[in-house]
Amino acid sequence: MSFIAKLSRVMKLTALILTVCAVHVMARTSGQTISYRAENVPLKQVFAEIEKQTGYLVVYNSAKVGTSKPVTINAKDEPLEKFLNTVLGSQGLQYMIAKKTILISPKEEVKKNAQGSLTPDLTPGLLPPPPNPDVTITVLNTDNQPLEGASIIIKGQNKGIATDINGRATLRGVDPNATVIISFTGYVNQEVKLSNRGINPSATSGSVVIRLTASTSELDEMQVIAYGKVSKRFNVGNVTTVKGEEIQRQPVGNVLQALEGKVPGLFVTQANGIAGGGVTVRVQGQNSINNGNDPLYVVDGMPISSQDLISLGNVLGTSGGTQYGPVSGFGSALSYINPSDIESVEVLKDAAATAIYGSRAANGAILITTKKGKAGKTKIDINVQQGWGKVTRKLDMLNTQQYLGMRHEAKMNDNAAVSATDYDINGVWDTTRYTDWQKTLIGGTSQYSNINANISGGNASVQYLVGGTWHRETSVFPGSFEDQKGSLHLSLNASSDNQKFKLQFTTSYMTDNNLLPSVDLTSSALLTEPDAPALFLPDGSLNWALNSSGNSTWNNPLRYLYVPFKNKVSNLVSGALLSYQILPGLELKSNFGYKKTSTYNFLASTVMAATKPETRSTAIRKAVYAYGTDESWNIEPQLSYIRKIGNGIFDALIGSTILQNNLDNTTLSGSGYTSDALMESPVAATTLIASGSTKTLQYKYAALYGKLNYNLENRYIVDLTARRDGSSRFGPESQFHNFGAAGAAWIFSQEQLFQRALRFLSFGKLKASYGSSGSDQIADYAYLNSYYPIAGLSNVAYQGISSIAPGGLTNPAIAWEETSKLQIGIDIGFLNDRLLIGASYSRNRSSNQLLGYNLPSITGFRSINQNLPATVQNTSWELSLNTVNIKSKSIRWTSSINFTIPNNKLVDYPGLASSSYANNYIIGKPLNLNGLFHFLGVDPSTGKYLFADINGNATSSPKSTTLLNGDRTVIITTFPKFYGGFQNSLTYKGFQLDFAFQFTKQLGPNLIYFTQIITPGQFFNGTSNQPVSILRHWQKPGDISSVQRFSAGATAGISQISNSDAYYVDASYLRLKNLSLSYELPGIWKQKAHLQGCRIYLQGQNVLTITNYKGLDPENQGNSSLPPLKVLTLGLQIGF
Amino acid sequence: MLPIIVWIAISITSCKKLVEVVPPITSASSAIAYNTDASAISAVTGLYTNLSTGVVTGNRGISFLCGLSADEFTQYSGVASSTATTYYYLNQLVASPSTIGADFWGIYQYIYVCNSAIEGLTAATSLTPAIKQQLLGETRFMRGFYYFYLVNFFGDVPLITSSDYRINVGIARTPKAQVWDQIISDLQAARDLLSINYLDGTLVKTTTERVRPTQGAASALLSRVYLYTGVYAKAEEQASAVINNSSLYGLVPFINTSTTPATQNDVFLKNSSEAIWQIQTTIAGHNTEEANMYLLPTTGPNSNPNTVYLSPQLLASFEAGDQRRFGRNWIDSIKIGSITYFFPCKYRANNYQAVNGVFATPTEYLTALRLGEQYLIRAEARAQQGNISGAQADLNIIRTRAGLPNTTAASQSALLTTVLHERQVELFTEWGHRWLDLKRTGQVDAVMGGPSGACAVKGGTWSSYQQLYPIPAQDISYAPNLTQNLGY
Repeated sequence: MSFIAKLSRVMKLTALILTVCAVHVMARTSGQTISYRAENVPLKQVFAEIEKQTGYLVVYNSAKVGTSKPVTINAKDEPLEKFLNTVLGSQGLQYMIAKKTILISPKEEVKKNAQGSLTPDLTPGLLPPPPNPDVTITVLNTDNQPLEGASIIIKGQNKGIATDINGRATLRGVDPNATVIISFTGYVNQEVKLSNRGINPSATSGSVVIRLTASTSELDEMQVIAYGKVSKRFNVGNVTTVKGEEIQRQPVGNVLQALEGKVPGLFVTQANGIAGGGVTVRVQGQNSINNGNDPLYVVDGMPISSQDLISLGNVLGTSGGTQYGPVSGFGSALSYINPSDIESVEVLKDAAATAIYGSRAANGAILITTKKGKAGKTKIDINVQQGWGKVTRKLDMLNTQQYLGMRHEAKMNDNAAVSATDYDINGVWDTTRYTDWQKTLIGGTSQYSNINANISGGNASVQYLVGGTWHRETSVFPGSFEDQKGSLHLSLNASSDNQKFKLQFTTSYMTDNNLLPSVDLTSSALLTEPDAPALFLPDGSLNWALNSSGNSTWNNPLRYLYVPFKNKVSNLVSGALLSYQILPGLELKSNFGYKKTSTYNFLASTVMAATKPETRSTAIRKAVYAYGTDESWNIEPQLSYIRKIGNGIFDALIGSTILQNNLDNTTLSGSGYTSDALMESPVAATTLIASGSTKTLQYKYAALYGKLNYNLENRYIVDLTARRDGSSRFGPESQFHNFGAAGAAWIFSQEQLFQRALRFLSFGKLKASYGSSGSDQIADYAYLNSYYPIAGLSNVAYQGISSIAPGGLTNPAIAWEETSKLQIGIDIGFLNDRLLIGASYSRNRSSNQLLGYNLPSITGFRSINQNLPATVQNTSWELSLNTVNIKSKSIRWTSSINFTIPNNKLVDYPGLASSSYANNYIIGKPLNLNGLFHFLGVDPSTGKYLFADINGNATSSPKSTTLLNGDRTVIITTFPKFYGGFQNSLTYKGFQLDFAFQFTKQLGPNLIYFTQIITPGQFFNGTSNQPVSILRHWQKPGDISSVQRFSAGATAGISQISNSDAYYVDASYLRLKNLSLSYELPGIWKQKAHLQGCRIYLQGQNVLTITNYKGLDPENQGNSSLPPLKVLTLGLQIGF
Repeated sequence: MLPIIVWIAISITSCKKLVEVVPPITSASSAIAYNTDASAISAVTGLYTNLSTGVVTGNRGISFLCGLSADEFTQYSGVASSTATTYYYLNQLVASPSTIGADFWGIYQYIYVCNSAIEGLTAATSLTPAIKQQLLGETRFMRGFYYFYLVNFFGDVPLITSSDYRINVGIARTPKAQVWDQIISDLQAARDLLSINYLDGTLVKTTTERVRPTQGAASALLSRVYLYTGVYAKAEEQASAVINNSSLYGLVPFINTSTTPATQNDVFLKNSSEAIWQIQTTIAGHNTEEANMYLLPTTGPNSNPNTVYLSPQLLASFEAGDQRRFGRNWIDSIKIGSITYFFPCKYRANNYQAVNGVFATPTEYLTALRLGEQYLIRAEARAQQGNISGAQADLNIIRTRAGLPNTTAASQSALLTTVLHERQVELFTEWGHRWLDLKRTGQVDAVMGGPSGACAVKGGTWSSYQQLYPIPAQDISYAPNLTQNLGY
């Protein structure tokens, strides 16, 4: 028996439920049956039995029903409707079933009220005026669920009343001509004139049912937070949601790429444009000096690793992790989550939002929620997308003529003769050749294909969604490199008939087969000499351009075609959430999660076909195999309780987490194969050695946490979280630690003062939070005094014994790096929330930094890891603006802007000067520092670069022993100055146009010096070409230039200029990150084709980049890594 | 509600358990490392593995750097003056930057391993007693071995005998005498603990591979230490203990190679009967790093790795007819243009040995202790004790093998001079003997200093303080009680 029904009987109801909008009884078959035998039982008991057997709520006026006659019943498997007819027929009562609510009402009253003819004619003065009726208002949502706590205000008066748990409230003695305003958070307000709803002034009582429709305000969208959901309106924390639709509008292989420019406080950098490439994500800056800075990623309640396991070829680039933690491979672990399966991504930033994750969320948390099935007709949705990717732009490099000119001038300058190894100019290479290497090596078109099909449906008790996706991306490099992914997503929700027991089960599985080049060809594309030989010989084999003595004269860049690098990953993330409602408001639930990532890497590092012919006789074929599994499970039992206390809602949660992670990584190095073709089989190797990177790690984590939230009158909200955490990564002396946060919000727009004074203000919230969270992104077992195998690739065991040696001094007391986060913010809405502005300021201070503390070598090692009171501060101003510019029947135009000004600095570091970081950091400056010489131009007399020494005097040989001292007088940081994005969404009839810009203000390497790996004029096989901008170089005494004299030999100037302030230029950019245009076919067409939906669309990623930056791309700024590609796709989505 | 309270209570109480992890199987914690025979053997063997690639061998090794410091080598002119070895060569070491002269201070890294091994082994309860005894003996030996070089290179050095960094960080320089006492006590203990016979990796079975320290090794090193500290009777006693064990040790005669160069020297072959303790290579295809550095290619010396050849002083010190010099047993030469470069060829097996992509088995091991030195130690100890005939007899054994007539020295002082000279030509380019001999006999200033001294010949300027190496400045700043050697 439901608690609600019980309550309804305890409470004295004063009026009956009447419906105005739905006067006719709905006789829809419910499918429910009743078996009941009883003699002379009161109706109340019958109703109770109905509730028990069906789980439906029976709503009635106990005063009216109390007077009814007892009934005798003998029913067996009788349909509910028939049963009700039998029971109520003789009682003058009728019923209505709406969803799971049965409304019981007297037959006559409906009629009378409907006619409205019973109003007596009252003559003033003769009789005392009759008292106004008591009116009971029931507030339901459109699903007929009662809304508790809805406010009912009589217009013009300041009197208000809130509805009870059954959505009911009674206004006593109310003038029927009064208008009441019914409001409930998350719903559109309704104004109702009582007399229009059939309230009869002469009656002593009356009742009205009001259905509120859900609000379309963005403020009422639910946000997933740690262990729950909350609407944006009442969220105390700093949380930004990116919806699945926004992600799915972007043709990307990794969801993180779709977050660029969307979230204030979130800075995302793509390592390169290769499928599966690394993505670095920083939430509100870099907190840790020496350890992990990645946010905590949680997919459907299961934490997943932030770094990839892939350990071999580094072509995928890093995801910001290089030196810490158990996992620090190349690529991004988030590549194995299918973006098509994502319902929403929430970025949690401040203490109020993250503290509940304790020691793992100092760097923020990113919660990924996958799609769930919805009740309703079975729906089949098929989405097919095909696209093409290109490098966004080319650099102007020297052509053959210009190149040869540079080389000859250099030789002349140096008075040097053309030597036998100057293949580029000595006639060995055909100097009439010209190859545009950018076109040849990175100028290809990559293919992008994505096919996704979902089936979903279900009824009130069971909903399901099954989806499958096939995704393929190829590369712009020559050769058949491709990344193929197949994934399966399953979601099942089930609930018992009485809704007390619920199960939510999700599984996402992906298998990824990535055939990668072992080397990024971008560097070769830029720097290969324009007159370099042809890639292939007429017979189709690689051209090594052998000279007369049979030696190769170049390193054919396409030798990598023959160096297979295969990366196969399968990733399973599965979770079940079971919940049981013990009592109304009290729920016991538990989350069970399981995750397994298996990787297989194969890299044939020395292949004969890729080896210069002349060295083949002495070369040994070598290959590396890496097998990894990263497996974890967690159990999170929780107890939540929600009830009304006083005028507010009290919401409490207590829970615990048990998590275990096992990681195995085996790397085998094989050598001595008899043929290139056999190398993928380890069996074919004559020697096979397990390398030092082989490891087995275990990580355990346990926590107890609690959360309290009290929302008083939707006006004052207090949010408290606390967590006690234990992590196996820390020493026995400090394995456990407490974290907590307090947050509060004041929705001042609810105050009548503001409502009256600032009528244009539809919403106003001030929020603040303070708390702590930690980071345990350090290596496993770091506190253990461990002995590690002394091993290398070619080691021979001493006496056949695999020897071990201590890994270093260990500190059993190492503990969390702790970040205290302060955040204040304001959210305001105007014009019925059509204009929403959010601003927040956060100040995160990370201390207890785990750093190497220097020791004299007499202790055996030079340093020990210690938590030092060094403090890093990240502040960030975050602004967001959301507007609904046009909202009409046919047109809707919305915009949003976000903007972040980050600031990072080292606040304190006791003993910095004597630490090994003395050369890397300065107190008061950001963590990312470059100490540079100040560039003064080229010496007009010598053609050498000139720099200012520490005294400001010009010198061509500036001195510095370390990064930040000597003549390095200019200090800069490459952290962004500000960043953000803005988006627009336009819908007109069936058309929808979305476009999103992203912008960043930052410094980056100067192209003109950046591409100079070697001195302009020097020949260094495969890296000698230069950008055309070097043509404005110094040629003769008196020339004023910024490019030094050409020289055929190495010059010091190249390393000096790259350490000078001339090396950094503005690399700010504005990018049309995403463009999406879709057209939904008109209804008639779809009907004819028997389709639920049919949409054709065009999507573009990195469509347009506006920048003064002269390099290949301002985002990854590499001259050696492929820039993020421009991808355009066409797609068709059909729903059945 | 009761089950919930129970559940919460369990959650809290068992928290500690929930975050306990099994130690990694790819590493062993120090508690476990010395608790099983296999891992204890692995840990101690780690000391030798590090020896074969670390501080004692190759271009940062004892033989090479001490040879540069002394008068044994001429450095190839093409080696840059900024190269660290040039600082050794010109006796110009500096305390900072530590990349220049911190090589041997790094020995403390291995002292740490010895200390933790001694602690771990002593505390271990589950080891096979014989294995525990041997391992304890080996680690005591190794600690003595390392301190021997530390005290010789740096003078007073912090005497560190525990693994606790909190204590060690504050330790000041210990007077030399105390360090020598510790070396003697370690080596005495080692001698009593170690096996007489050579053991294989099981530490139970014997083997022909002489790559683990034995009782003989402990006695051999102890005799050297007694000699250095002037305890001559005991030096003689310990040397005799080794020499008399003829079932294991014997001098290896030279192969008569007056016309063609020797293809190999039996003395430095692996498992040679003259070897008391050798160090096995651990790099596939390699023999000794010494062979790689010293054997000059047909193109002559170069800036890497063949940066040195033998100095004129050393070449001039050989008597005519010395088979070590003229029999092409230990010295070979190559002529480039008009210049003949002489180079040591005690180790002849070239470093890399690969045939058809398969690595060949090494034929030579780096010999750390050998019988030849024991005869010279005993000769000197006997001379010091006035045993002229005994000293002559030992000296003559060495001279005879070198094809030289018996010594004519008959007085104590003449014998001492002769022994020192004999050590120069017998032990050249091995283990810094020449450099240490010059220092301990007080002749270092006379030989190195002055306008025609060895240092000036090399192009440096000699000051007496340079006989001790500097302590890295970084360590001085991190260790509160550590002081620098005078002059630096």
